[in-house]
Amino acid sequence: MNLTSTDYLNILPLLLVGAGILISLTVEMYSKKSVGFLSWFSFLLHLLVAYYSLYTVNNVSSVFGGMMGTGGTVNIFYFIFNFGAAIVALLSMDYIKKAEIYFGEYYILLQSAVLGMMLMASATDLVMVFIGLELMSICFYVLAGFQRKNVRSNEASLKYFLLGSFTTGFIVYGMALIYGASGSLNIQSIFSMLSAESTPILFYVGTLLFIIGFCFKIAAFPFHMWVPDVYQGAPTSVTAMMSTIGKAAAFSALLLIMLPLIGSKNPQTFTPLFTVLSAASMIFGSIVALAQTDIKRMLAYSSIAHAGYMLIGLAAANDTGASGIVFYLAAYAFMNLGAFGIVSLIEGNGDTEGTIESYAGLSDRNPLLAGLLALFMFTLSGLPPFAGFFGKYYVFIASLEAGNVWIAVLGALSSAISAYFYLRIIVVMYFRKSDVASDNIITESHTSLLGIVISAILVIMMGLTPGSIVRLINSF
Amino acid sequence: MVTLEHYLILSGFMFVTGVVGVLTRRNAIVVFMSIELMLNSANLTFVAYSSFLGNVIGQLFVFFVMAVAAAEAAVGLAILIAIYRNKATLNIDEINILKW
Amino acid sequence: MSSFPMLTLLTFLPIIGMVIVMMLPKEKRSLIKITTLVATGLQVVLAGFMWAGFNYSQAGINNPATFQFVERIPWITFDSGSWLGMIKIDYFLGVDGLSAPMVLLTALISFIAAISSWNIERSVKGYFALFLLLDTGMMGTFLALDFFLFYVFWEIMLLPMYFLIGIWGGPRKEYAAIKFFIYTLFGSVFILLVMIGLYLSVNEVTGEGATFHTFNILSMMNPSNYTQDGILSPFNPDNLRFIAFIGLFVGFAIKIPMFPFHTWLPDAHVEAPTPISVILAGVLLKLGAYGIIRFNYSIFPEITRELVWWIALFGMINIIYGAFCAMAQKDFKKLIAYSSVSHMGYVLLGMASLNEVGLGGAVLQMFNHGTITAMLFLLVGVVYDRTHTRGLNDFGGLANNLPVYTGFAIVAFFAAIGLPGLSGFISESFVFLGAFKVESIRLLTIISAAGIVLGAGYMLWTMQRVYLGKLNEKWTDLKDLDFREYTMLVPLAVIVFLLGIFPSIMLDLMNTSINELVNQVTKTDFHSIMSGMK
Repeated sequence: MNLTSTDYLNILPLLLVGAGILISLTVEMYSKKSVGFLSWFSFLLHLLVAYYSLYTVNNVSSVFGGMMGTGGTVNIFYFIFNFGAAIVALLSMDYIKKAEIYFGEYYILLQSAVLGMMLMASATDLVMVFIGLELMSICFYVLAGFQRKNVRSNEASLKYFLLGSFTTGFIVYGMALIYGASGSLNIQSIFSMLSAESTPILFYVGTLLFIIGFCFKIAAFPFHMWVPDVYQGAPTSVTAMMSTIGKAAAFSALLLIMLPLIGSKNPQTFTPLFTVLSAASMIFGSIVALAQTDIKRMLAYSSIAHAGYMLIGLAAANDTGASGIVFYLAAYAFMNLGAFGIVSLIEGNGDTEGTIESYAGLSDRNPLLAGLLALFMFTLSGLPPFAGFFGKYYVFIASLEAGNVWIAVLGALSSAISAYFYLRIIVVMYFRKSDVASDNIITESHTSLLGIVISAILVIMMGLTPGSIVRLINSF
Repeated sequence: MVTLEHYLILSGFMFVTGVVGVLTRRNAIVVFMSIELMLNSANLTFVAYSSFLGNVIGQLFVFFVMAVAAAEAAVGLAILIAIYRNKATLNIDEINILKW
Repeated sequence: MSSFPMLTLLTFLPIIGMVIVMMLPKEKRSLIKITTLVATGLQVVLAGFMWAGFNYSQAGINNPATFQFVERIPWITFDSGSWLGMIKIDYFLGVDGLSAPMVLLTALISFIAAISSWNIERSVKGYFALFLLLDTGMMGTFLALDFFLFYVFWEIMLLPMYFLIGIWGGPRKEYAAIKFFIYTLFGSVFILLVMIGLYLSVNEVTGEGATFHTFNILSMMNPSNYTQDGILSPFNPDNLRFIAFIGLFVGFAIKIPMFPFHTWLPDAHVEAPTPISVILAGVLLKLGAYGIIRFNYSIFPEITRELVWWIALFGMINIIYGAFCAMAQKDFKKLIAYSSVSHMGYVLLGMASLNEVGLGGAVLQMFNHGTITAMLFLLVGVVYDRTHTRGLNDFGGLANNLPVYTGFAIVAFFAAIGLPGLSGFISESFVFLGAFKVESIRLLTIISAAGIVLGAGYMLWTMQRVYLGKLNEKWTDLKDLDFREYTMLVPLAVIVFLLGIFPSIMLDLMNTSINELVNQVTKTDFHSIMSGMK
C-alpha cells in the first residue's frame, strides 16, 4: 500500500493540480488583486500538467491499493481536461471582466473542477468515481451561477444544481445496488460478476441506474432537459468548459464500466440500451437544433447530438469504439472550445442575447473570427480533413465492426441533417449583410484569440494527422 | 427478525418517494429535500448490505456520501439564496426566463 | 516509372498558387488573377506532359502494376499498440486510361474558368483562393487510388464550391448553395459508410507478411482479398453488398445528377457565377459518373450486372425528362442545366451497356459534355455580361450584330445536338451502338433515342429565339467578342471539331483501360467464389 517513487511520478498530475489549488487559495486569501496572476497561473499549471500527462502516457500502473489507475487512456483524459482547462483559462481572462465576475475564486473553482474530472477518469473504484464526480459537479454548480446578480445565471445554476444532484441520487443508489450484488466497489471485481454463472438482477438494475445518471451528465436524450438552459444561462466561458471537458469527464466514467465489459464474456450486454439512447440523442439533437435562434442553445442541442455519436462507440462495445470515443471527445473538446470562445467574444454585455442573426456580416466586420468560426462549424458538422470527421469516422468504424450497421446509417443521416444548422451560421456570417449597424462590439482580446487559434490548430492537426500529438510528445 | 429485504424495501420506498418528490413538487427547497431523501435511501442500502455482507467498505462509502451531501447542501442553499434575492420566489415554475 | 512526382504536382500546384494568392495584398487584384492563371496554365502544361508520357498499352483499372505515374507513401499509420488502434491510409495516386481524359478535362476547364473569372470584382483574393482549392479537390478526386484519400478530396471540393456559389452567386445564392451542399453531403455520408464497410472487409498483406485492413481501391476489386466474415465480404453469406452498392450509387448519382436527385443542379447553375457554372458542368458532374465506374463497377461487378437494366432506365429517364424540362425553360442557364441532365443520361445509358463500345462512348461523352457545356455556359456568360439578362425571350436576332459570337454559339449548339463532324455525335452514337447491342436494355435504348430528337428540338428553338430573327431594339449597340473571350472559346471550339473528326485521339487514350474494365465487370465472379466456399 506504500507508494513508491514511481507511483508518485505517476500520480504527479493529480498532485500538481492539488498543489495548484492550495497555492491559488493561499494567494487569493492574502491578495485581493491576484486575479491576473491566478489566470496565468491556472493556464501554465494546466498546460504543464497536460504536457506531463502525455509525456508519461505509457506509465500504466495501479496506485492506492487499486483505487486508481494511471497511464494510457487515463493520461489521455488528463491531457484533454488540462489542455481544455488551459484554453478555458485563456478564454476567461478578458471574458470575466466583461461578464463582471472578475474574482479569483473563478480560477480556483476551475482548477478544482479539473481535479474532480481527473479523479473520475483515473478511478478504478466506485468511491473515487463518486468523489471525483461530486467535486466536479459542485464546482460547476457554483461556476454556472457565478454572475450572481444576473437572473439568467442564477436560474441556470439552480436548474443545473437540482437536476445534477437528482442525478447524483440515481448514481449513488445504483452504486449501492451494484455493491449489494457484488460485495465490492472495485470495478474489476464487480465486473468479474458478469463472467459468473448467473448475474443477479440487482446488478443490472444498479448498472442501469448508474448509466442513466451519467446519461444526464453527458446530455443524452431523454436526460437532456437541463442542457440548453444551463448552456445559455451560464457565463459563456463556463459553458465552454462544461460542454467540453465536463462531458469528457462524464464519458470517462461510462468508459470505466465499458472497458471491463469489452474483455468479458458478454460485451454487448448494454448495446441495445446505448443504441436506443444514441439514436434518440442524435435525431432529437439534430432536429431541434434546426429551430434554434440563439447560438448557445443551438450549440447545446448540437452537444446532445454529439453525445449521441459518441454513444455509438459505447454501443459498439469494442476497443475501436473505446478509443474512438476518446478521440471524439478530444476533437469535440477543442472544436467546441473554439466555437464558444468566439461566442464569448461576440456576445454583448449584460442581457444581449447571442442570436444567430447578430452574426450577420461578421465576415466583413472581423474576417479572422468569421473564418475561424466557419472552420469550427465545418469540423462540428464532420467534414474532412478536420478533427470532427475522424471522431465520427472512428465511432462508425467501431459500430460496423460490431455489426451494428443501422445505428451507423442513422448517425450518417443525422450528421447530414446537422450540417444544415452549422451551415446556417456560415450563411449568416458570409452571405448576409449586417443590417443592424453592428450594435454588439466585438471584444478585443488577445488571450481569447490565442486560445481560439490554439483550438483551431489542434482541430486541423488532429484532422490531417490524427495521433500526431501523441507521437510528437512521446518522441522527446 | 429484521432481514436484509426489509431494509431494501424501505430504502427502495424512500428512493421512489424522493424521485416522485423531485418530479412533482414545485418549491425548490422541497425538491432539494427530496433529493436528500434519495441520497439517504442509498446510504441505507449501503449500510444494510455492508452489515449483511460483513464488509466494511459500504459503510465507508456512506461517510463520503454524507460529507458530499453536506457540501452539496451548502452550495445548493447558497444558490437558492442568490436566486431568492433576485426574484423573491423559489417556485421553480416561476423561474423560467430560459425556457425549460 | 519516373521518380518525378508528376501527379502530386498536378494536384497541389493550385494549392501553391492558393498560398501565393493568400500572401498577396488584397489590392493587387491583377497580380492575384495572374497567379491563378499561371497556376492553372502550368497545370495544363503538366497534364500535357502526362499525356505525352502516357503509355497507351497499360490498362490500369484493377492492376496496380499497370497504373502510371504511381505515387504511394503511407499517410496515416498507427501501430496496433497505439490508443487509436490500427489504421493505415496511403497517399496513393495513379492514372489510367479512365482517369487520364478526366485529368486533361479538369486541367483544361480550370484554365478556361480562370480566364473567365477575370471580371470578378467582389473580394478577388478570397475568390481565387477558393477557386484554386476547388481545382486541387477535383484533380485529387480523379487521381486518388486510396478510398480514404478519395473521400477527403471529394469533401474538400465541397467547401470552396459552397462558398463560391454562396458569396459570388446570384439573388438566390443562399438557397442554391445550401441545397448543393446538403445534397452532396447527404450522398457522401453513404459513401463514407460503404468506405468503412469495405475497409473492414478487405485485407492486404504487407511485405513482412502481416495482414491489415486497407483502403486501397485496387485491393477491393480482387475477391481474394476479402476477409471471411466482413460485412461487405462476398464470403459472408449475410453480406450487405447489395445495400452498399445502392448507397454508393446514390452517393455518386447525386453528383451526376441522376433523376430524382437532380433538383440541386438547376438552382446551383442559375445562381453560380459563369466560371463556376463552367466548372460545375465541365468537371463536377463527371465526378459522379467517374465514381460509379471506378467504384461501383469495379468493386461490385456482380451487383452491377444485376442492376444494369435499372441504370439504363434511370439513364433513359434522365435523357427524356431532362429534355422536356429544358424545353420548358425561359432562363438560358436553366435550359443548359437541364440539357446537362439530359446529356448525362447518355453517360448512364452507355455505362449500362457493359461493353467496350458503350462504356467507351460513355467516357468519351463525359469528356465531350465537359467541353461542350463549358462552352455553352461561357456563351451565356458573354451575353449576360453585356445585357444582364438571361431570359430567352429577351433576345432575338443577335446574329445581326454579334456574328462571331453567333458563330461560336452555332458550333456549341450543334455539337450539343450531336451533329456529325462535331464531338457530341461520336460519343452519342457510340453510346447508342453499345446499348443497342444489349438485348435486355434495347427497348430503353430505343426510347432514349427520342432524346436526340427532343434535344435537337429545344436547342434549335433556343437558337431561333436568341440568335435568329429580327434584332431586339434594346441590344443594337452590343459589342462582339473581345480578346479574352476568344481565348476561352477558341480552344474549346477546336477540341469540339478535332474530336468530331479524329475521335481516336481520345479513344486510343482510354481504349486499353475500357477493355480491361469491361473484362473486370463482366468476368470477375464474386458469386462462384461464394458458392465454392460453401
